[in-house]
Amino acid sequence: MDPRGPASHPSGLEATGRWTRRRKRWVVLAGTLGGVALLSVLLGFGLSRDPTLIRSPLLGRPAPDFSLRALDGTDSIRLSDLRGQVVVINFWASWCAECRVEHPVLAATWDRYREQGVVVLGIAFQDRPSASRAYLSELGGGWPQLSDPGERTALAYGVYGVPETFVVAPDGRVMFKQVGAVNYGALTDEIERLVATT
Amino acid sequence: MSARHGMRWPTAALAGAVIVAGAALAVVAARGEPSPRTLEGRVHAVASTLRCPVCQNLSVADSPSLLAQQMRSTIAKELQAGRSPDEIRGEFVAGYGEWILLAPPKRGIDLVAWLIPILLMAGGAAWAGLAVVRWTRGSVPAPIASNAATGPGLPPGDRVLLERAIRSVSDEEPE
Repeated sequence: MDPRGPASHPSGLEATGRWTRRRKRWVVLAGTLGGVALLSVLLGFGLSRDPTLIRSPLLGRPAPDFSLRALDGTDSIRLSDLRGQVVVINFWASWCAECRVEHPVLAATWDRYREQGVVVLGIAFQDRPSASRAYLSELGGGWPQLSDPGERTALAYGVYGVPETFVVAPDGRVMFKQVGAVNYGALTDEIERLVATT
Repeated sequence: MSARHGMRWPTAALAGAVIVAGAALAVVAARGEPSPRTLEGRVHAVASTLRCPVCQNLSVADSPSLLAQQMRSTIAKELQAGRSPDEIRGEFVAGYGEWILLAPPKRGIDLVAWLIPILLMAGGAAWAGLAVVRWTRGSVPAPIASNAATGPGLPPGDRVLLERAIRSVSDEEPE
């Protein structure tokens, strides 16, 4: 018979062995549950946020400066030259359906606020200049229209697609951004607010 | 004893090989790709860390979209102008936010995404190491031989069954 047989085991040792085994099981269980709980919290946090809704980091920050040539090739406009005025920057394209939808809103805004020193700037995005010009002669729009070679300005403004509209305060900070067709009420509210502070 | 040694050495060698291979893999992964020499390669290196804004889950390097093409040409111009990859990424972050980065920044809540895999890997390696040590110690036969009937290794129900079986065998033996 084995000398380390059952008789040589003090009963206390057996109990201790069973106890540590049970404790170990609890530790493993608690660890697993803790890990699952942590991952669930993180997953819940991630799922509760809309990944398509990204707040522009530009809001409240100085608007990236640009100097762009007009679509008709006449002259160029530098944003920093417009300091002291409210500037609406609208990225658009002739191939963009929603741009047609919002075009009357921009026209109405331009007509209503140009006397108060508000500037509306259109910037063509991924568009052939000839197509852009044809679009403008079809829909009208007397505010300055600029071309953006290589989309350098659009990339600086973090444009995902057109239309996107920004409002720059007289101090040069971006105060408003709308992705998609701009809303007349929201746009004019922001302009009124900024005009009142100047 | 010799049989156990015969089992031990290949196991140890295998464990050693796995550890060496894992370490080599970790070193290669940590070093990353060699820094590219050509402009095209440098553009690709930056573009592959940026998310294409108009497509879901494609890098700027992989996306065929017009915007990604323009981002690549912007990156090329900036690199030629002497900007560093981090400066260029910073410019895109300024316009698009940290969303534009394919890998989360290593700070704040985003650090969790970096730490969890490392912790899991370390925990797994520690567990595997302990398991290998336990197996190669050759302690497996001992508890079976010595503690079969009442050893701590059996749940009470099984122990009762085992004791009953042993008793029935020893009862049969005299006949």
